[in-house]
Amino acid sequence: MNDQVTTSPTTLSLHLTINGRDHALEIEPRVTLLDALRDRLHLTGTKKGCDQGQCGACTVHVDGERVLACLTLAAQVEGRSITTIEGLADQDGTLNAVQAAFLEQDAFQCGYCTPGQIMSAVACIREGHAGSDEEIREYMAGNLCRCGAYPHIVAAVRQAAQELRS
Amino acid sequence: MTVHDMKHADSDSARLEAVGGRLSRVDGPAKITGAAHYAVEQQLEGLTHAVLVGATIAAGKVTAIDSRAAQTAPGVLAVLTPDTIMELNGASDWLGNPPTQATYSPLVREVTFSGQHIAAVVAETFEQAVAAAALVKVWYDETPAIVDLSDRRAGDGIPIDAMTKEWGDAEAAFAEAPVRICTAYNTPREFQAAMEPHGLIARWQGDELTIWEPSQWLDGMARTYAEWFGVPFENVRLVSPYIGGGFGSKALALAHSAVAAAAAKMLNRPVKLVLNRPQNFTSYGGRAATRQTVAIGADREGRIQSIVHRGVNETAVDGMWVEPLGSVTSIMYATPNFSSKQNVVRVNTVVPGAKRAPGENPSAFGIECAIDELAHELGIDPLEMRLINYAEQDPHAKKPWSTRQLREAFAAGAEAFGWAKRSPAPRSMRDGHQLIGWGVAAGTYPVRRAYGEAVVKILADGSVEVESSSIDMGQGTYTILAQTAAETLGVPVEQVSVKLGDSHFARAGVTGGSRLAGVMTGAVHKAAGQALDELIGLALSDPASPFHGLQANTLHVRDGRIASPRGEGPELSIAAFMRAVGRDHIEARGDTVPANFTPEQRYNNYTTIATAIPHTEGDYSRHSWCAHFVEVHVDEDFGTVRVSRVVSALDSGRLYNPKLAESQWKGGIIMGIGQALLEEGIVDRRHGRIVNGNLADYMLPTNADIPDIRTISVGIPDPHSSALGGKGVGELGIVGVAPAIANAVFHATGKRVRDLPITLEKLI
Amino acid sequence: MRDFSYLRADNIEAARNAAALPGAMLLAGGTTLVDLAKCGVAEPATVIDISHIEGLAAIDVGADRAIIGALAKMSHVADHAGVKSLFPAVSEALWQAASAQLRNMATIGGNLMQRTRCPYFRDPQNFPACNKRAPGSGCSAIGGVTRGHAVLGTSEACIATYPGDLAIALVAFDAEVDLGGRKLKVEDFFLAPGATAEREHDIHPGEVITAIEIPGSAAARRSTYIKVRDRQSYEFAAASAAVGLELEGDGRTIRDIRVALGGVATRPWRARAVEDALKGKTLAEDTVRKASELAMQGAVDHGANHYKIALGPRVIARAILKLGATA
Repeated sequence: MNDQVTTSPTTLSLHLTINGRDHALEIEPRVTLLDALRDRLHLTGTKKGCDQGQCGACTVHVDGERVLACLTLAAQVEGRSITTIEGLADQDGTLNAVQAAFLEQDAFQCGYCTPGQIMSAVACIREGHAGSDEEIREYMAGNLCRCGAYPHIVAAVRQAAQELRS
Repeated sequence: MTVHDMKHADSDSARLEAVGGRLSRVDGPAKITGAAHYAVEQQLEGLTHAVLVGATIAAGKVTAIDSRAAQTAPGVLAVLTPDTIMELNGASDWLGNPPTQATYSPLVREVTFSGQHIAAVVAETFEQAVAAAALVKVWYDETPAIVDLSDRRAGDGIPIDAMTKEWGDAEAAFAEAPVRICTAYNTPREFQAAMEPHGLIARWQGDELTIWEPSQWLDGMARTYAEWFGVPFENVRLVSPYIGGGFGSKALALAHSAVAAAAAKMLNRPVKLVLNRPQNFTSYGGRAATRQTVAIGADREGRIQSIVHRGVNETAVDGMWVEPLGSVTSIMYATPNFSSKQNVVRVNTVVPGAKRAPGENPSAFGIECAIDELAHELGIDPLEMRLINYAEQDPHAKKPWSTRQLREAFAAGAEAFGWAKRSPAPRSMRDGHQLIGWGVAAGTYPVRRAYGEAVVKILADGSVEVESSSIDMGQGTYTILAQTAAETLGVPVEQVSVKLGDSHFARAGVTGGSRLAGVMTGAVHKAAGQALDELIGLALSDPASPFHGLQANTLHVRDGRIASPRGEGPELSIAAFMRAVGRDHIEARGDTVPANFTPEQRYNNYTTIATAIPHTEGDYSRHSWCAHFVEVHVDEDFGTVRVSRVVSALDSGRLYNPKLAESQWKGGIIMGIGQALLEEGIVDRRHGRIVNGNLADYMLPTNADIPDIRTISVGIPDPHSSALGGKGVGELGIVGVAPAIANAVFHATGKRVRDLPITLEKLI
Repeated sequence: MRDFSYLRADNIEAARNAAALPGAMLLAGGTTLVDLAKCGVAEPATVIDISHIEGLAAIDVGADRAIIGALAKMSHVADHAGVKSLFPAVSEALWQAASAQLRNMATIGGNLMQRTRCPYFRDPQNFPACNKRAPGSGCSAIGGVTRGHAVLGTSEACIATYPGDLAIALVAFDAEVDLGGRKLKVEDFFLAPGATAEREHDIHPGEVITAIEIPGSAAARRSTYIKVRDRQSYEFAAASAAVGLELEGDGRTIRDIRVALGGVATRPWRARAVEDALKGKTLAEDTVRKASELAMQGAVDHGANHYKIALGPRVIARAILKLGATA
């Protein structure tokens, strides 16, 4: 067995801005934003479902737009503003309208896809893609939910969109 | 005996916090803020990362492994192979049968399925382990594999006599019946595909093992770990606070679990091993592929004279899985003559496993399509057909149903759906290019019962803690147990905290077969009742109690305040009372286990399913029931099927929390839509390997595939099924969905698709 | 994933220079490169991050042409008002591709470089033979699971389907790809496998896509993209069609028509035989259906993908008839 700890010579020093805070990281270039969040920064609210861009569980916002953290290299988003589920509620703990609607509508069961659903829903509303149930369904289709909370997710997005409009 | 003020009120009028109230999930706030930490998200000092290397052949021998490049790759701590991994003991199975082999290696030299674990690499970081695992070279001596049920060399398989159900003379009655249909139905290999992958963190401290792993059965899995490593059961602690979906897949400690725990022991460092998504399709079993033939003979009025049913499911070369295909066939309809038999066929696959409603699900696909075919043959409305053959008692067990609100389900569902407006002829409803079809099917799932226990603590500040090693994977255990304790004790539900998912809590059996809610509400109700008895007893008898000397034989607790029934004497909060009597807590451990159980029986009760109570035990046959009404749109040019409307009426008995039960029913229905239209593990027959083992190619329904779904509860409290009157929720919703959709597709197109999933090429 | 070094290019010149390095691969949205690196298909020695280069994401749309910067995001192009009104098929192809998150990541240039979803191509551990990955090693797909594989433009070396949507619309409307030093038709940019399945694009080391240019036309203005798949969303096409239609003043006679097919061929597939058969004809369902069949001339199936031969023409016909009905 090789018990020597070796580090790659290609380690990068990065600064990531996550939820308004600066985080310093020493990581290899191949580390994805998802693994940086979960394994290095202990921000485990962002979930790993497939790790290959096929489920949406790792959805975060980069410069306000929803993207998949599993197909984003951490190095690539240095200098950008990253928001994760942990940064969505107000500082005082007041829930985002989407979070509150998810709870009220019971828009989740196991909760594993939920942070990604919520991040996606916040962006979906902001993009103007929550105009009808049909549009919500299509624009939330990138977030798989195996518990089958879809009808309640649609109801929650509809409700939050209405609240945010009024 | 104290009088407990139990409110068995109608669900919708119940107070939120009471049993039956529509309380939002108490674990919800943690889940919507990212604060809910799932098992493998524990942060441990010195954590290492393991990645598995899987077999690239389906059958044969590993002749050599070259791990030199991996060994010397950056960050690598160890490469485990069948030669270097520590030897484990064989472990008993989930039925409690002793191990068939004295030793066990989770890394193999003899390969029986593609993807089987050959080696594992442990490194300082995940990225290093992944990269090094790709450097492990394996050589094989490959032998021909039997890839699936259609493989000619697979043969007819092994008869499973325990599955045979027969009465009357089914073959003769079928031959004499004036109207006969005989059809074959196939379901493919399907996968649970929970969003949270399987995985674990294992840590040894001396001979004590802690495992953080998503689990539907902490005690059962702890037993397996204890036996593998030859340590006492108490030395193993399994922690599983939240589970990102299981659907039957997360009840057992599996080979990858053993690899991680062995690596942790060998390196004396905590090891995290998470299966990547493709490995989640090969490291544990999904639903076995099945084939059934259903022959029904009836008279011209549609009365069934005979059902002859034959089923086959695939199992593994080195493991046995029986998917009971006659389970619905034998009870759904009244028939004087019946025969059902089943074989299993060994193929080169990982051992198939439980997926939502194992048995009932494919069984219903056969019989519920066949009854639709018979109805069409006779020109009888398919709903009427089901009522003509309504089983007034269990035709197999010959016992009355405990409750069976299926007639009510048909009526309520048909009314809400508008079934009466259905145009009977296939291909007679359309909207432009869209052919419209309406289909119906029924479903059922037995009430599985077991004995449970729970600890309820009343603390000094008046708050209440419930502890159990049972789990919440989204069904709402946290919430309904809080409601049960709050109602039983008379405290506000916000004062109750429920602690689950730690095997050091009060023991619990498997979370599967829709049994947990019934078992655990019963146990918590009992434990909370005992705690209340003790509180009231103390209040009346302790000299320091403000109630001491009161001329009352009992007291009330409401909204967390203690008072006498007629209002004389003081009224004070539980916290004030605890201060007065100087107690820091009152604790009760309640269980529903028979008093004569030995310690070993009690241990087996939680760590095996040997003590499960048959659903036909005693005087009744106990089942949940449902009826699904489905509308589909089929594009006449493209063959694409979209479900546009679902109305389901379900009898799960009393609902402990209708808000959460509706979610679970809908989840089952949606999984059924996926099963009907999308889901299929596709095997490359040359390699015996699933080629679509990922979430882009093994397609789950997306939000865009799912219409609004209406569920209607037609259940009534069933005192024979559980302490509080509930039956089962979790499995029921999926049973009957696929046949309802297949029947609707037939109604839309005139084409009968008997092989799931109903993909577009089958309709163009 | 193999370790690699990471370089961030600040301008297009730096990107071109770095792209010429051996083992260098360009990273824009990451949805192809990072994915394939995880699969073990892409093994870059150096990843050149071009996503921070400024000035390459502009979307400039006029009636005569649209010029879309290589780093414009799929989602932004899909939602662009000018694209929606003047090139609806382009917008529709984009919003029906992948998912909202992936479209926010993926760039237009990167989208043209998207690789096939052939499961054998994507799994080198289990299927070492793949002429795309390892020229001369053979094709694991032929004789295997072929439900998603191509029926047009295949060779003995490769039957992998081109998976994208946007390029189908681009090919239909004669779009060009700008490689800085040279421009070529998008249709010519994509190469059929022939005997060299490993060469999918006409692009050379050191070249970087800077923009695509779509000529405006009446047919582009009256265009649509229809995508057929088992799953309603977030799935690659079983078959798709980008169609543009221009009618004479009588509202019935076809003056110009553009037809391209997706999901059935090894590259974006322009169906000129269909166009030629319909130009000058009166728009009628049976004429359209019959002409649409011509798209499948030369189609070869591999069993499980046989349905695509029937499906392709139906998608084309539906798209033409839909456009005809919106006069």
